[in-house]
Amino acid sequence: MAEYVGIDLGTTLSGLAYLKPDGNPEIVPNSDGERLTPSVVFFEGHEDVKLVGSAARDGGEPDRTVFQIKRHMDDPDYLVEIDRKKWSPAEISALILSKLKRDCSKIIGDINEVVITVPANFNELARKSTIAAAEMAGMKVKRLVNEPTAAAVYYAHNQGVQGRILVYDLGGGTLDVTILNVEGDNIRILTSEGARHLGGSNFDEMLLDAYAEQYRQQTGAPLFSDERHRRRVLQTTEDAKKMLSKLQRVNDTVANDKNDGIARIDLTRVGFEKIIRQMLTRTVMLVEQALDSAKLKASEIDHVVLVGGSTRIPKVKVILEKMFGQAPKSCGNVDECVALGAALFAKKSARIQEVCNASYGTVAMVYNARTGEEKLMNSVVIPKNTPIPCSRTQVYQTSEDNERVIEVDITQGEDEDAKFVDIIGRITLEVPPNRPKGCEIAVTFSYDENQRVRALVVDKQSGRSREVAVSYKGAGVLSDEDLKRKSAHLRTMRIE
Amino acid sequence: MFKKILQSLSKSQSAKTKATKPQPAPLAKPAAASQSQAAKAASVSTTPKKPEELCEITPKMAKDQIQAQLKLLYRRYNRSASSLDPKTRAEADRMLDAIVQVREKYFGEI
Repeated sequence: MAEYVGIDLGTTLSGLAYLKPDGNPEIVPNSDGERLTPSVVFFEGHEDVKLVGSAARDGGEPDRTVFQIKRHMDDPDYLVEIDRKKWSPAEISALILSKLKRDCSKIIGDINEVVITVPANFNELARKSTIAAAEMAGMKVKRLVNEPTAAAVYYAHNQGVQGRILVYDLGGGTLDVTILNVEGDNIRILTSEGARHLGGSNFDEMLLDAYAEQYRQQTGAPLFSDERHRRRVLQTTEDAKKMLSKLQRVNDTVANDKNDGIARIDLTRVGFEKIIRQMLTRTVMLVEQALDSAKLKASEIDHVVLVGGSTRIPKVKVILEKMFGQAPKSCGNVDECVALGAALFAKKSARIQEVCNASYGTVAMVYNARTGEEKLMNSVVIPKNTPIPCSRTQVYQTSEDNERVIEVDITQGEDEDAKFVDIIGRITLEVPPNRPKGCEIAVTFSYDENQRVRALVVDKQSGRSREVAVSYKGAGVLSDEDLKRKSAHLRTMRIE
Repeated sequence: MFKKILQSLSKSQSAKTKATKPQPAPLAKPAAASQSQAAKAASVSTTPKKPEELCEITPKMAKDQIQAQLKLLYRRYNRSASSLDPKTRAEADRMLDAIVQVREKYFGEI
C-alpha cells in the first residue's frame, strides 16, 4: 500500500505522485503510459463507458465531452446533462480521480488516503466538492493543501533553498501566489492569494477570438458554427500559444466546416502578448496583493519560483524579473511539481505551518464614538493569513431591549462591506427575557490544523452558549446519503 | 472608540424596511449598502459607466490615492470573483476589467 500519496486535480491536467522509500516523490504514470492525465471525460454512449484522459480529449464528441470541470467546482448551480442524467462537478471530478486511483494502484499498490491540492482561493463549496469527489472515487482525503504550498514544499525539498520564497503558480485555470519562509526543515506560509479564471485556458480563448476575427476579415464568414469545430480550433490555438513560447512568429491556416475558404493566420509573440496583456496585469496585481498581505517589499523576497504550464510564456518571466530584480526560477517540471509537493506534504505536514485561507467574522453595526458614524459592517474575527491553529474572540453588544434570540451570521471574506462576503451560516442563541440592550455577547472562531473552523457564541451575562462547526451547507453540497449512493453507483461504472 | 452591535443581515434589513416603507422587502442579499447603491444606479442613468467612474477615480485624485483605491478594489473584486453568489461573481469580472484599464491608463502598461 502507498502510504504518502498526493494528487494534483488540475484544470487541464491531473497527476498523482507518491513518496518513495528514499523520501523522494515520484509521479506515477497512468495506464496509457502518460505521467499526467488530461482532466477530460468523454461519456461514450454505445458501450456505456466513461473515457478519461487523452482518449477523451482527442477522440470524444464535443457535446458528450467535459473539459475543465474544475472551473465549475465553486458553482452550486452548475450541472452537466448527458443522456438526460445530470452530473455535478464533483461527480465528473470523481471519474478523473477514479482513473488515477485505479491506474496508479497497479503500480504502487492500494491507495486509500491522499492529499489533494486545490487553488488557494477555492471557496468552501469547491473544497467540499473536491473532498466529495475523492470519497466517491474511494479515497479518503487526509488533507487539502493549496497548490502553491505544495509546489513550494517540492521546490524547497528539491533545491534545498532557505529564506523567503514567492511561488507564482499560473496554471490552466487559476493563478495562485504564495509567500513562504523556509528555515531548515520548517516551512511557514506567510500568505496565499489566488485569482479565479485566470490561466492558460483564458489565453487560449482570447487567441481563439483573434483567429475568428482574422478568419472573418479574410473570408467574411464565421470560423465555427458548432461546438465540435470550435473545440478543434481551440486546440489549434493552444498549440500556437505553446509554439509562441519558443518562437517569435507562427503561421497557420484555418478553415471552417462550411467550405467558406481557408484563412492564413499570422501570429507573433508580441501580438500574443498584447492580446493577453490585461490578464497579465491582473497577475501582477495579485503578486502586489500577496506582498501587501505579507507586509513585504519585492526586494525582501529571496527566490521567485515558477509553477504551472502557463509560466512557460516568456512575458511572464520578463514581468516577474522586472518586479523583483531577479530572474524567476523554474520548479523543475512546472506541470508536475504540485503533485510531487502534495506527496511530500503528506509526510511533512507537521513541519509546515499554514495560514487561514479566508477571514471569518460576523455582521455588526459599528459605531465610531469619535466621529459619531455608524455602519453595518462585516466584522472580522479571524483575519485571513492568521497562522493556524488559532482562536480569536470579539465581544459585541445586543441592539434591543428584551432581545430573546441572538442571531449571529457567520461570514467568510475579508471585505468590511457585507455585500462582498459570503454568509455561510448562522448561529441562533436563546437568551433570558427582560434584559436591556447592550448585553455582551462573545463570538469566538477557532481554526484547527486540519482547516476546520468552529464558532462559539457566549452570552456573557447568562453564560449560555452555542458552538457549531462552520461549514458551508448550502446548494451544491451532497448529503452523506447522496454521497454514499453516488459512490456505490460510481463503482459500477466502466471507467477507462 | 468603537462599539460593535451584533446584527444579522436579515435583522438589519427588516429594520431598514420599517424605516423606509413603502419599499418592498429585499431578498436575503445584498445588504443595506448595496440597496442604496442599486437605487442610486437605477435613478441616475442606464448609460454604461467609464472604467474611472466604476472605480470611483476622480480627476483631482493624486497618483498614490488612485493606486490605493485600485488596490482596495482589486482585493475586493478578486475575492468576489470566488463568491458563492453568481451575480456577485459576474459583477466582479466586470470590475476587474475596469480596474486593469484604469491602472494601465494611470500607471502604464506592464
